[in-house]
Amino acid sequence: MTADSSNLQVEHLTFAYRREPVLRDVSFVLERGAVGLLGPNGSGKTTLLRALLGQVPVRPGQVRVQGHDMAHEARLGRRSLGWMPERGGIIPGLSGVALTAYLGELSGMARQDAMQRAHEVLHFVGLRDERYRSCETYSQGMRQRLKLAGALVHDPRWLLLDEPTSGLDPGGRVDMLDLVADLAGRKGLGVILSTHLLADVEAVCREILVLREGRLLDRQPVAGHDRGGQQVFEISGFGGEEAFVEALARLALSVKRDGRHITAVLDLDTLPAGPGNPTARAMRAVLELAVACDYSPRRLRRRPVTLADEFHALVNPEAR
Amino acid sequence: MPVHERGYTHWQPSGLHADPAWWVIAKRGLVGPLKRRWTLMLLFMAWVPAVVKGGIIFFKAKAGQIIDLAAGGAWTSINAAGFLAFVEGQRFFVFLATVILGAGLIARDRRENGLALYFARPLGLVDYLAGKSLIVLGGYLAVTLAPVLVLCLFAYLVDPEAAGLELLVLTPLRLVVFCLLAGTGIALVMLALSSLATRTVLVVVWWTVICLGGDAVGGIGEAVGVPGLQYANFLGHWHNAGALILGADQRLPVSPWASLAICILVVAGSLAVLRSRIRPVEVVT
Repeated sequence: MTADSSNLQVEHLTFAYRREPVLRDVSFVLERGAVGLLGPNGSGKTTLLRALLGQVPVRPGQVRVQGHDMAHEARLGRRSLGWMPERGGIIPGLSGVALTAYLGELSGMARQDAMQRAHEVLHFVGLRDERYRSCETYSQGMRQRLKLAGALVHDPRWLLLDEPTSGLDPGGRVDMLDLVADLAGRKGLGVILSTHLLADVEAVCREILVLREGRLLDRQPVAGHDRGGQQVFEISGFGGEEAFVEALARLALSVKRDGRHITAVLDLDTLPAGPGNPTARAMRAVLELAVACDYSPRRLRRRPVTLADEFHALVNPEAR
Repeated sequence: MPVHERGYTHWQPSGLHADPAWWVIAKRGLVGPLKRRWTLMLLFMAWVPAVVKGGIIFFKAKAGQIIDLAAGGAWTSINAAGFLAFVEGQRFFVFLATVILGAGLIARDRRENGLALYFARPLGLVDYLAGKSLIVLGGYLAVTLAPVLVLCLFAYLVDPEAAGLELLVLTPLRLVVFCLLAGTGIALVMLALSSLATRTVLVVVWWTVICLGGDAVGGIGEAVGVPGLQYANFLGHWHNAGALILGADQRLPVSPWASLAICILVVAGSLAVLRSRIRPVEVVT
C-alpha cells in the first residue's frame, strides 16, 4: 500500500462506539473513479464515511484525504470531500440557490464565487428552474438533487454519497445514477457510493468494498470481473431435500436453502469430464444427485452469477 | 438533452476574500429573521423605552434640569447606574429577542441532520458555536447596548456640560464590556438549551421558565421578604454582576460577587453541555 500516490487512504482504522466495535482494522487505498460501499445494515458503512470526513476519532488507525491526516488536518481534508447525506441535509427556510451558496461559503468560497457556483451546479443537477423555490417545498427527487448540488458546490475531489437514490422514483433514480456516473467517468471525480441497491453499484461503480460487522471483507471489480465458469442453479421440488442438499453441497461452491427453494453455485470448470457442454453436464449432475437422493425437482433454472450472489455469499458465509 | 450533458465545470477561484465560517453562519442567522416583519416589529417596540428616555432627557435639558438626571440610579438617569437600570428594564425584550433568534438555532440543526452537514465542511466546533452565539448576541445587543449607546450620545449632544466626557467615553465603554459579557453568557445558555432538544417549542418553554419564571420567583421573594428566592432570578444575576463593572448599586439582595460566580458557573455548565451535545450524529426521526 503506497501512501503518497493515493488520493484517499485508510490504514488499520478501528472505531468503537460506547465500547461496541463499529469498524475493525479497515484498510484500503482508493484512486479516482466510482467505488461501491456495500454491506448489510449495521456493517459500518455510514461510520466509515464519517471517519473519512473526520467526524469520528480516527485513532487507532489513520485516514488520509489528498495527503491530509484527518486526525489533525480535517479542515484541509474536507475541502476535498463533498458529502451527500442520506437523511436531512436541508436547512429549512432557504431557497435551493441560497442553501447551495451558503454551503459553498461554509466551504471557504467567497460570497460571489459561492453564488455563481451555486447557479452552475444547480443547473448541472437539473434544478435550474426550481432554484429560487424554498427547499422545503421540493419533492424527494429534487431534494436528492439539491443535496448533490450541495456536495458539488466547492468542487471536491471526492464525493461521498450515502444512499443517493433513496426514495427516488425509477426515472429519478436513472437520472441520479447518470449524474454520478458522469461525474466519476468523465469529470474525474472520485465517488464512494454507499448503498443497499446492488443495481446502483453495478450501474455506476468500477469496484466494490464489502463491509460486514465493521470488517472489510472483500474488494473486487464490478464490470468485467472474471467469475470463471460459475453458474447459479435454482431448484425447487419435494422429497428427500435434506439428503439432496447434503449431496449438492459436496458438488457445489455454495448451497442455500430457503424452504423448498434451493440455490447452488457450481463451478463448471471443476465438474468431471464427460459428453456435452459444461452446462449440460452440470444439469445432468444435479439431476443424477436428485434421483440418487429420491428428490423430485419440479423446477430447475440456471443463470449466471451476479453481483448480488457474490455479495450475499460474502455477507452470509453460513449459507455455504 | 440529459441533465448531465449540460456540463460540469471545475471551479476556478476568483481570488476574492472569503469570509470565515463563523461569520458566514452569524450573517445568515441575523439577516434571515430581519426579513420578517414581526422581528422588525419587536425591534421597533424594544426601542420605544429608549425614545421615552430620550424624550425625558430632551425636556429636562430644555427646562435646564438635566443635572438632576446625572445623579442617582433611576431608570431615567444618564449615568452608568441609570443605564444599567435601563438595560435591566429591557429584560422582556431580551427574552423575546433571544428566544426568537436562538431557540431553534441548534434544535433545528439537530432535527434536520444539519450538524453533520456543517461538520462535513471545513469548520470546527468553535466556528459553529461562535457563529451561532453571535446571532443571539446580536439580538441581545440590538435591544440593550444599541439604544443605551444612542442615548449616551444623545444626552451628550443635548447638554455636553451635564455629564461631561464620562458620558461620551467611560460610561459607553463600561456598557459595551458589560453587554458583551452578559450577552455572550446569555447566548451560550440559550444555545445549550437549544442543543438539548430537537423541537424548538420545548426550548421556548424552558427559556420562558428560566427567564420569566426566575424573574417572577425573584419578585415574589422580594414581596414576601425572602431574599433567598432571588437566587432563581436568572437575568437578575447578570444585572447584579453588572453592577461591579458599572460601579452601580447591587440590583438584587444578593452579593454581586455571588451573582458573578453563579453566572460563571452557568456559562461553564452551558459550555460543557454544548461540547457534549454538538456532534455530527444523525438524528433518526
